[in-house]
Amino acid sequence: MSTNNVEQEIISIISDVSGFDEEEIKPDTNFFQDLEIDSIKAIEITVAIEKKFKIQVRDKDVPNITTLKQAVELVNTLLTQKATA
Amino acid sequence: MVLFIVIPACRESFFKKSDMDDAIIIGAGIGGLVCGCYLAKAGMKVLIAEQHYKPGGYCTSFKRNGFIFDAAAHSFGGYREDGIVRKVFEDLEIDKRVEITRFDPSDIIITPDYKVSFWTDLDETINDFQTAFPEESNNVKNFFNFLINPDTMFLARMRSWTFKNLIDKYFRNYKLKAILSFPIFGNGALPPSKISAFIGAKIFTEFLIDGGYYPVGGMQTLSNALAESFKEYGGELQLSSPVKKIKVINKEAKGVFIKNGEFIASKYVISSCDARQTFINLLGKKMVDQDFLNKLNHMIPSLSMFVLYLGMDKNFNPKQNIGSNIWYLPHYSIEKMYLAAANRNINNLSEYMVRISSDKKSILAFINTSCRNKIYWINNKNKLIESFITKLTQIIPDISKNIIFKDAATPYTLYRYTLNYRGAAYGWASTPSQLADPDFRKPSFIQGLYLTGHWSTQGLGIPGVTYLGYNTANLLIKKEKTKK
Ligand SMILES: Cc1cc2nc3c(=O)[nH]c(=O)nc-3n(C[C@H](O)[C@H](O)[C@H](O)COP(=O)(O)OP(=O)(O)OC[C@H]3O[C@@H](n4cnc5c(N)ncnc54)[C@H](O)[C@@H]3O)c2cc1C
Repeated sequence: MSTNNVEQEIISIISDVSGFDEEEIKPDTNFFQDLEIDSIKAIEITVAIEKKFKIQVRDKDVPNITTLKQAVELVNTLLTQKATA
Repeated sequence: MVLFIVIPACRESFFKKSDMDDAIIIGAGIGGLVCGCYLAKAGMKVLIAEQHYKPGGYCTSFKRNGFIFDAAAHSFGGYREDGIVRKVFEDLEIDKRVEITRFDPSDIIITPDYKVSFWTDLDETINDFQTAFPEESNNVKNFFNFLINPDTMFLARMRSWTFKNLIDKYFRNYKLKAILSFPIFGNGALPPSKISAFIGAKIFTEFLIDGGYYPVGGMQTLSNALAESFKEYGGELQLSSPVKKIKVINKEAKGVFIKNGEFIASKYVISSCDARQTFINLLGKKMVDQDFLNKLNHMIPSLSMFVLYLGMDKNFNPKQNIGSNIWYLPHYSIEKMYLAAANRNINNLSEYMVRISSDKKSILAFINTSCRNKIYWINNKNKLIESFITKLTQIIPDISKNIIFKDAATPYTLYRYTLNYRGAAYGWASTPSQLADPDFRKPSFIQGLYLTGHWSTQGLGIPGVTYLGYNTANLLIKKEKTKK
């Protein structure tokens, strides 16, 4: 999956979970401060990402997903690891 | 005939009216009612269809032989200044319709060796635990500190933890761990090794540390007040109206068929009832993605309850705290208790919760139980009532002489009144692997369909479903606003 597609899929997940329009979700938008994401929604986003990309996000990485940019980076890393595993 | 057309004052007007409903909500439990109120208040045209003849789901009351009993839920939490239930009740003007009291302590745990309470003053609660377990004094403080100052990130990180992982991090004494896990078992129907740490922590913050609230007049008054607000915001509530089918065209929900085959079109369908029913009966297996169907068939529901209702005579003058949830813990293995509950029979009763009403006229008590089947309960309900009453003498020694009415709800009764699968008390079992599955909030394979309430894998009890109802409504309101 290309980086652009990864980003688009993640935007769509975040939009579904937060209710914010896709347009409002920019690379540096902070989930917690700007998108009213709370702990349960953070978990929901993580579960949705795992399901969409068929990857496993480690618990210790969950707090690192606070912006779209970070989420895309993490997913790309995990996808690369999966491909080379 | 005079027709009054009421135009509710508080409705916002960014939604254009049409004949079609904007949203149909299946089920008038607390989840559905809260969601409906917010949508209607925002100006949407909303219908709630409820199969029962009264609103509330598990939050209802009924009258028998002059006694009023709460059917299932019997108190609530999350009503502190910045609590979710307080926010919602203020937004929806419920606080103007119902007087809310609070019992102090909200919960008392009694074991053969200890009695500890959850007081409205947290310091007092901490003190109770520290006095009982002086060697764990600092750990008690740290544990409660963690709960009341939750770190969003840390909570999210705990997603795959069980409550056992959390409690083992703080404590050593197995009796203390059992005491702290017992109300989690009672309010979540899973033992510490199985229940999600996230949900366990929420039960502490939303049920125990900030619990014990009660609407004067009984739990039904809460549901009635929500129904009143809903109607005042322009919503339509149809009681005795079971939804039979959700209509889907091109993978998009288009409305519902209710009892007599009548079709009601709507833009969104929000199911606030049992999730298996939603997918298997209302949508139909053909409409459901195969992978999801496989998952659904492996999902585990929470256990059910056997609820005992006792009506007491005028001479009943208990020494125990009235209005408090009194939890009796006869031994310290919650894991064994869970196994017994999962294979419940009339000879393996041990732990329970009992609550004496504030007017001392009635008692509600319950135990977790597996669903069993209808025949089992027909044959054993009365026997279980008798052995349960005998067990209650551990807490209220001379209870039998004041009982003038007794009845019980079995899992089958709970199912019959609410259609919750297997009479499940709390929706899906709150295990880490069943937590926060997005397909149980907004299934990816059907557009326009949302789920809310305690089957949406994100929360349970009145605070949990209040949050979910509020949150689901906000998702839709935001979505509609951005479209304009
Ligand atoms: C014995 C017991 C005690 C409890 N005690 C407490 C407590 O003290 N405090 C607390 O916070 N929580 C308590 N709980 C849990 C709490 O009651 C529930 O988690 C919560 O009320 C669930 O709300 P809900 O709106 O998600 O679902 P429900 O209350 O189950 O509401 C669902 C509604 O949908 C309706 N419905 C179902 N199918 C259809 C259909 N096809 N068409 C139309 N309508 C339909 C049902 O009739 C019902 O009204 C208790 C639960 C039990 C069983």
